[in-house]
Amino acid sequence: MIQRLILICLFAIIATNAAAHKLVVFASVDCEAVNVEAKFSNGRLAIKGDIRVLDGNNQLLQTLQLGDDGTAAIPLTSVDHSSGLVIEVDTGSHENYWIVTPEDIVSKCGS
Amino acid sequence: MFLTSLLVFLLSANIGLANDRLSVVAVNYPLQYIAERLLGERADVVFPVPEGVDPSFWRPTIADISNIQAADLILLNGAGFASWVDRVSLPRSKLVDTSAGIKDQLIVTESIVHSHGDGGEHTHEGIATYTWLDPTLAIAQARAIMAAAIRLGLVDANDVEDSFDALSADLEMLDDQTQKALNGSTDVHLIATHPRYQYFARRYAVPISALEWDAGSEPSDEQVKDLEKLVSETGARILIWEAEPSAGTVEAIAELGVTSVTFSPLAQPTDGMDYLQAIEMAVSGLADAIGRQSDN
Repeated sequence: MIQRLILICLFAIIATNAAAHKLVVFASVDCEAVNVEAKFSNGRLAIKGDIRVLDGNNQLLQTLQLGDDGTAAIPLTSVDHSSGLVIEVDTGSHENYWIVTPEDIVSKCGS
Repeated sequence: MFLTSLLVFLLSANIGLANDRLSVVAVNYPLQYIAERLLGERADVVFPVPEGVDPSFWRPTIADISNIQAADLILLNGAGFASWVDRVSLPRSKLVDTSAGIKDQLIVTESIVHSHGDGGEHTHEGIATYTWLDPTLAIAQARAIMAAAIRLGLVDANDVEDSFDALSADLEMLDDQTQKALNGSTDVHLIATHPRYQYFARRYAVPISALEWDAGSEPSDEQVKDLEKLVSETGARILIWEAEPSAGTVEAIAELGVTSVTFSPLAQPTDGMDYLQAIEMAVSGLADAIGRQSDN
């Protein structure tokens, strides 16, 4: 019972800490995928969240979940990336985005 | 035949000249103004944020970022201004953090306690961003732009140094005029509808308390009560607005014994006025209001 109480308190502290910091989203590109990382500005990983992938016309292309390690990979073959991609991450309490331009993809992949 | 050849030659020469102009992007209007003063006809200086949008919170499109990535020089304000710059890849060699050299002069702020989502109440510590409202800091930012343009070999040092000297003299004059206009105002407490004027307040030793009203919207009854409370706490009788409030709002605020003064913080340009003119006009309005208050 006490252990459970401690766990609940610990979770509450972590949740409050997370809420007091900004969500930072970063995406890098290689030839195979857009690799997304999300963490809070205090360095803690965002372990739960929805990722929305949009194109240059703001059309939703795909949704996926953030992994337990705060990352996700979007295979380039799974989306039309010709007009670039906007990666939005939403943890429920915080959200942020990263913009990947067509030039970002070309410069990393050369195609 | 000769005339046709001449025409073709002149047209191609003209296109060549047009293409030779530097492409510069600025994250706010004051940096655009400074860069235009420094680089003159040698550059196209673009401020990409649409009219009516707060450049601090602008969300660019992918096409906007593609254009910005292709610029010769990207002028950042630093001090946490323009959150979009942390959400894109920008070529490091072309970036100029214009406040990097004045980090020790930046003002640390703490926003009011608020909540969003399921996170409960909390605060976010930050840095006051409107550095250019202190003309001496604007000079430092101009110097950073000049140094970057020279370092990257984009301009001739002699040309840009002359432009810098002229701009610096104008900014020093603005600073001097503002000092004189607000001389003796240190006992007069002011209230701003939004926390934008920290650097101005520090430079001219004018105490300014800030509310958190949304720019461009009319205050709610609850917000007017907050103002009334702050007025009784500080004794302030002047309220600074970022944009001209409606006549009805001015009247409602006047009933509290408070005079409204408009002072655009200039993140976006002001119609028909450049940076120097807009600040001169704002200071003049402020000095008049303070003078009238002192007379009463």
